[in-house]
Amino acid sequence: MSREKLRSLGLDLPLLPTTSVGSFPKPDELQQARTRWARGLISRADLEALERRATEFWIRTQEELGIDVLVDGEQYRGDMVTYFAENMRGFEIGGLVRSYGNRYYRKPIIVSEVRWERPITVSWWRFAQSLTSRPVKGMLTGPYTVMDWSFNEYYPDRRATCLALAREIRKEVEALIEAGARIIQIDEPALSVRPQELPLAREALQVVTEGLPAYFISHACYGAFEKIYPQMLALPVDNFDLEMSNSNLDLLEHFKRSPFTKDLSFGVVDVHSHVIEDVETVVARIRQGLEVVPAEALWIDPDCGLKTRTVEEAIAKLRVIVEAVRRVRASLA
Amino acid sequence: MNLTLTNTGSYPRIGDVPELQILRQTLARFDRQEATEADIRRAEDEMVRRAIAEQIEAGLDLVTDGQIRWYDPISHIAGKLRGTKINGLLRYFDTNFYFRQPVLVDRLIRECPILVEEYRYACSVSSRPVKPVLTGPYTLAVFSLVEWKEYRDLERRVEDYAMALAEEVADLAAAGADLIQVDEPAIVLEDAVFDLFAAGIRALAQVKGAARLALYISFGDVSPIYERLQELPVDVLGLDFTYSPQLVDRIAVEGSVKALGLGLIDGRNTKLESEAEVATALERLLPAIRSDVAYLNPSTGLEFLPRDRAFRKLQHLVRIGLRFKQ
Repeated sequence: MSREKLRSLGLDLPLLPTTSVGSFPKPDELQQARTRWARGLISRADLEALERRATEFWIRTQEELGIDVLVDGEQYRGDMVTYFAENMRGFEIGGLVRSYGNRYYRKPIIVSEVRWERPITVSWWRFAQSLTSRPVKGMLTGPYTVMDWSFNEYYPDRRATCLALAREIRKEVEALIEAGARIIQIDEPALSVRPQELPLAREALQVVTEGLPAYFISHACYGAFEKIYPQMLALPVDNFDLEMSNSNLDLLEHFKRSPFTKDLSFGVVDVHSHVIEDVETVVARIRQGLEVVPAEALWIDPDCGLKTRTVEEAIAKLRVIVEAVRRVRASLA
Repeated sequence: MNLTLTNTGSYPRIGDVPELQILRQTLARFDRQEATEADIRRAEDEMVRRAIAEQIEAGLDLVTDGQIRWYDPISHIAGKLRGTKINGLLRYFDTNFYFRQPVLVDRLIRECPILVEEYRYACSVSSRPVKPVLTGPYTLAVFSLVEWKEYRDLERRVEDYAMALAEEVADLAAAGADLIQVDEPAIVLEDAVFDLFAAGIRALAQVKGAARLALYISFGDVSPIYERLQELPVDVLGLDFTYSPQLVDRIAVEGSVKALGLGLIDGRNTKLESEAEVATALERLLPAIRSDVAYLNPSTGLEFLPRDRAFRKLQHLVRIGLRFKQ
């Protein structure tokens, strides 16, 4: 089914396409430049030059490693929600709020009607795609997660906030498609926060994707998915990209009880561990994935964005993925 | 009716200016081995002083230490008991905040007081009474992973956490705490077992001595268990009204034999609630409380807000509350 859709979009992917969830670590020079830019020591153009250089580095690296579906690496983003809040109308960027331990982030505040005014990620997508002949995913954060990770001072309730965001985020998806993106990933890591709101998340994603000619992936991670499975299969996307390895592939048991009916991007390496998995471990995980999802429907990637790792660790983890997939493909042929 | 204006627990430990970021910096320097534990303690002390000063400046009658020293509501307590180790991150209810999950590897034993020194310090730098806050036995038990097989049974976990916390409650009472707050948010979870939760609370109530016990519940609708909460041996029930649209009506009709902690101000959103709406709720609730005290407080701790917004929330709370103070 989804293979047909991919083909109809002109995408002929190998079995077990390899990809990444989105973010890659920022090289030191870019990390330092971001700090200097925040202090007003360098210009926006200086920073952007380094962001472009880092994006180019990651595109080359993914190509050299032999990844099938590429990502731009999100070198230009600080945070997956704040970035969109900064680039849409209706948000104010609030003060620091703790997320855990000694980690803080700036939680956006919705203070007026949210409005998409101009493309946010499109020029980055275009730049990344111009560097490679392999497909590059369009990447954005979904309305349910932007709603859940923002304060709301304007809309009457969560539903109104979420649906208003959905209508605006759809415009970004349309702009990505217009630019030529055929695979679009909409991240919804907040999906499992309130299981009773799953119908709202579904409705919002419907607003974002309905009738649009693209292969849609939705990424989610580190949640109580057992509470929203199998209901989550009703979401209008072609592929769920799920963290599996950090939770010991626990979800597979649920997929055995109730069949997984979408394509699955299967997280085969843990992004929160410095340890580089060995190829045998990843091969074994892929085989476990094949027990619940047919090869035609299985994609292989890390659990989540690799930005938490060093550049070397991220590359090493990707290399293991590619090698493991090569071995499994050979045995399937 | 004496309406006491108070905080529900946490207060932001960071702000937007450098002098409010000393704790973050010191912890980062500690990670690079450029600071000592004594440096962390000094930075914590400083941020506790500031948290208390801001609560007093906003006009609260009763303050907390802001839980500035707490890594999170679970591991700060569980991690200081023998028999636990601390594991990975898990989302704290439906917030954007994560806590570290304790793992029970052996019998739980409280080797020394956990919060007493922190309480004493807070009292020493506050011109207003201080309310110590601890997380309750049921919530700690529910969020613990189990490796030691005797704790596979939730009842055993609650019992042993309750035993450890009872010693803490007794010590806090002996240290002079007049009102001790116990947070038990896990009772709002779908599969909560009320009887186990109640047994844990009873164990704490037995040792409170002259102190009064306040049971606070956030992050969910307490309407279904409201009647049963009234039967518990606690002096104050703190309720989060943001999840319970019917709760004001219900209490206005059924009344409350307990003093109530009225969580009518949303501790999790920056928006300031309508003064008229909160005042109307108070007008209906206060006559229904068959106690000579009530508390007005945010629905949760304030750490979910940026610092400037947390302070504004407290000022807003005080502005509304003053209209009802005798």
